[in-house]
Amino acid sequence: MQLAVNIAVLASIYALIACGYVLIYRVSRVLNLAHGELMMLAAYLLLTTASSFAGHPLFAISAAIGLSILVGAMVYLFLMRKMTGEMALAAVLATVALGVLLRGITVIVWSAQQQYPATALGLVNPSIALPGGARISLCGALLVACTAVAYGSLLAFLRFGRWGVRMRAAGQSPLLAAQRGINLHAIYAIAWSLSTFTGAMAGMLIALDSGLGQTMTIIGLKAFPAALVGGLDSLAGALAGSLIVAAAEVLLIHYVDPLLSEVVPFLVLIAMLVVRPWGLFGTREELDRV
Amino acid sequence: MSRLPRASGHFRTSYAQDFRLIQTPLERRWLAALLVALLTFPFIASPFLTDLASQALLAMVGAMALMLLTGFAGQVSLGHAGLLAAGAFTAGILFRETGAPFWMTLPAAALVGAFLGVVFGLPSLRLRGLYLAVSTLALHFLVAYVGGEYESKRGFSTGIVIDPPVIAGKAVTDPRAWYFILLTAAVLTLLVCLNLLRSRSGRAWAAIRANETVAEALGIGVAANKLLAFVISSMLTSLAGALFAYYRGFVSVEAFSLFLSIQYVAMIIIGGMGSVLGAILGAVFVTLFPYLIEAVMQLLPGAGAYAGVMFAVNYAAFGVVMILFLVLEPQGLVGIWRRVQTYFLLWPFKHKPVAGARR
Amino acid sequence: MLRKLAAAILAATALSAPAAAQDAYTIGLTGALTGAPASTYAPAVQALRIYVERVNAAGGINGRKINLILQDDSAEPGKAAANAKKLITQDGVILMLNASLSSTYAPMLAEAKRAGVPVLFASSVCPKDVYPPADPLQFCTTAFAANYDSRAVLDFIKATAKEPVKIGFSAMAIPISRGEIDFAEELSKTMGMTPVDKEVIPPPTPDYTPFATKIKDAGANWAYSWAPWVTQVRTLEALRRLDWKGDYIAWSHIEAEGELARLKDDRFYVIGANALFQDGLPIHKEIADAAKAANVQYPVQQMAEGWIAGMVIEAALKATGWPATSEKLAAAMSNLKVDTKGLRGGPIEWTKNNHFRTRQYYRVYKWDAAKISIVRIKDWTAFDVK
Repeated sequence: MQLAVNIAVLASIYALIACGYVLIYRVSRVLNLAHGELMMLAAYLLLTTASSFAGHPLFAISAAIGLSILVGAMVYLFLMRKMTGEMALAAVLATVALGVLLRGITVIVWSAQQQYPATALGLVNPSIALPGGARISLCGALLVACTAVAYGSLLAFLRFGRWGVRMRAAGQSPLLAAQRGINLHAIYAIAWSLSTFTGAMAGMLIALDSGLGQTMTIIGLKAFPAALVGGLDSLAGALAGSLIVAAAEVLLIHYVDPLLSEVVPFLVLIAMLVVRPWGLFGTREELDRV
Repeated sequence: MSRLPRASGHFRTSYAQDFRLIQTPLERRWLAALLVALLTFPFIASPFLTDLASQALLAMVGAMALMLLTGFAGQVSLGHAGLLAAGAFTAGILFRETGAPFWMTLPAAALVGAFLGVVFGLPSLRLRGLYLAVSTLALHFLVAYVGGEYESKRGFSTGIVIDPPVIAGKAVTDPRAWYFILLTAAVLTLLVCLNLLRSRSGRAWAAIRANETVAEALGIGVAANKLLAFVISSMLTSLAGALFAYYRGFVSVEAFSLFLSIQYVAMIIIGGMGSVLGAILGAVFVTLFPYLIEAVMQLLPGAGAYAGVMFAVNYAAFGVVMILFLVLEPQGLVGIWRRVQTYFLLWPFKHKPVAGARR
Repeated sequence: MLRKLAAAILAATALSAPAAAQDAYTIGLTGALTGAPASTYAPAVQALRIYVERVNAAGGINGRKINLILQDDSAEPGKAAANAKKLITQDGVILMLNASLSSTYAPMLAEAKRAGVPVLFASSVCPKDVYPPADPLQFCTTAFAANYDSRAVLDFIKATAKEPVKIGFSAMAIPISRGEIDFAEELSKTMGMTPVDKEVIPPPTPDYTPFATKIKDAGANWAYSWAPWVTQVRTLEALRRLDWKGDYIAWSHIEAEGELARLKDDRFYVIGANALFQDGLPIHKEIADAAKAANVQYPVQQMAEGWIAGMVIEAALKATGWPATSEKLAAAMSNLKVDTKGLRGGPIEWTKNNHFRTRQYYRVYKWDAAKISIVRIKDWTAFDVK
């Protein structure tokens, strides 16, 4: 039972992070390797709002989320907008450069120390007993819930929302979409904001659960294979991929060797690339040249 | 190889002439001057600067290998650090376990590199672009895992230490000697790259990069040529890794992080895609840039007061410069170089004469 | 472009060369000041910097100032090697300091050995080469030390436990931590304990619960972790969330004091060689005042490790005299006794054969829920280093 809970929590972490990769890739065919850093930035913003709005945790959290959405939009407006039309690799490298910059900035502003936003907010993280003798921490439960809500509303938004449909159109054929009067820049900016929003939620919840430091960026990268296994342009795929990777990881830790957990996501990924390169639910792609 | 025609009365009248590496007497003179400068450099510069130059030369070997693969054959790889690690570990493990001298470990590293080239290259037969990049990334993690396990299991917790290579009965430790070894390696790699590019396979790669279907239709063996690109690039990279191991005197997985792969990709992009000169310029730039920032930072008033955050500032500045380069100069350093060249070629005019006048 | 760049760099490095190098003791440090593990090393380095500035402000040593050059290696071996080369060839340091992950040791030592410059490990784990018989050029002031630590821990568990000990272990997947936990596992068998589980956890792990589940399911009533702070504390937190009620002991890294107060866990012990600021010694007040004056960004509780390194360096340079060379310094360091003023259980004493310390002292602290403060559970226990 505990194993199932562990898988659910880890899968939620991966899924909530992975949907950020998917959103941006699906709409603009850019791989955002700064996602982990944006997550971390959001968590640090929470730390700052926590100290300025002491005693009002909900207010602090919403302020931090608002700020990170703004950051996402600004990243598009001031950086990625300039990279449209460049080769794919250059755009990826631009996000890497952004990541390097953000890592430097967080150390300058908040120092390299391990910090605890939960303490700053005055929140406690009790553990909850579940039927079957398993236990889950409050943050873990919140994470599972947030992931469910995020995926539910994102899928609904992309399927039925006016802007959601436009986003799908822009992803399928930017040229045709633009000719039909869809404002591509607005669409891309929204995709970046949404992606940072989900990333921010993941970053904040992880930070509330287990503290905040520079290692957060690596966690962001670890969710990447999950997104790929599912197919980089499919939200449902990201969910399935996260479940597969998380299950493989938890089960191998439990029954084989804890050391393997580091390479497991990538082994699953290689297996997937050999069998179905475009992922479980992804679309087969045209060749893209470098 | 297509080059800009010279503005002077230098015309190429045969293909053989077009293939020539050195085209004009002026080029020959410039090259000779550059060679003299490179040869005298370590005798003028301080040991520290010589070390910096050696680092740049080593980076050039790796960058040129990656440029061959990505810039010319069009196959994206994010597993470059994995290949460097493979070369370094081959040298390290052979030295530790059998005490093999460097003239045995270097070819062994090249062999391992060639083998891994096939392994890294196999996905390229099915995958393209981003997906290929990610599959090479996954292989990088596997190589790192195997290397790490070897280190732990054998108890080399702080890395494998390698003795300096012995040439003519003497251990090579002098920075100057290393500078010349690495200079030779870089020049040889350069010649290999230039010669490959003007050969049949070089043209095949260019065709594959432009359009695989058309290349296939032209009778080019796409699969074989892609694999060949991977094998040659991996061999060179692996050799660079082994040289790194000897140069630094140690091997450890931590030295071959994902960030290293990214640095190499940064080199070829900042340098300018699809140009060997770009790889060289990029390697020099990315290697020296952190030192440049540091030096500039120390010149700022009150540097001591910010010592605590200075390194974070240094790190952030690297990000900013990379972003500026990507946004403002997508052609890379080679783009700047060509603009300067054209400016002087066309002087006193600003633009080329109307098309049709001469091409 | 190439030439322009080269010229610019030449100019920049020429200008930045330390002008005062000739009339000062030049020492250089390579450390993880940025990057993931920076939180362990950066505070110690900052404390060392403040200490050196204080010494300089008070007129220096033997009438000469200390010129401390800091280099960041982000815990990357390649950068550490380049830093070491720069410090030795350009700055001409007579002493190299290391405050970084153990993977940076080999490349740095390769450079230092070639130049005959002594190396001091300050706040980074002591390598085995400083134990007797010591390597002539390697020295260590860091509190934690492989093998001795686990001996002290298991002794403590044996003395404290009331029922048969079933012990679970947790290590980080870095060689140094894995090696120590393997050692502890073997040792625990000879001491009548039952090792029930051992988890080697990769450094970037989003959730520690899967590992903790195994330790709990194995039926451990004690758990011991000797790893960087993140792994130690997050294994504990994950265990507690699974409602594990056993006793947990971990190494008292520089973060320990703040973290004990944050966790408020009655059965969480930290063992270490540094006196916590809780003890309120005069030297602690001195450090706190200096940190306040220098406006440090880290909590003062994390400054002891760097301070001790500063004290040792000051003593070593004093004994070296002027003019100083690396040979004279290495000789002076091989015969040194530094009073730690209570920061440690005893002096740091180096002999020709022993560059670690002749006696290593351990203290155990924990959080006491009844007293609402950190309490000392066991006072200095000495282990002879042979």
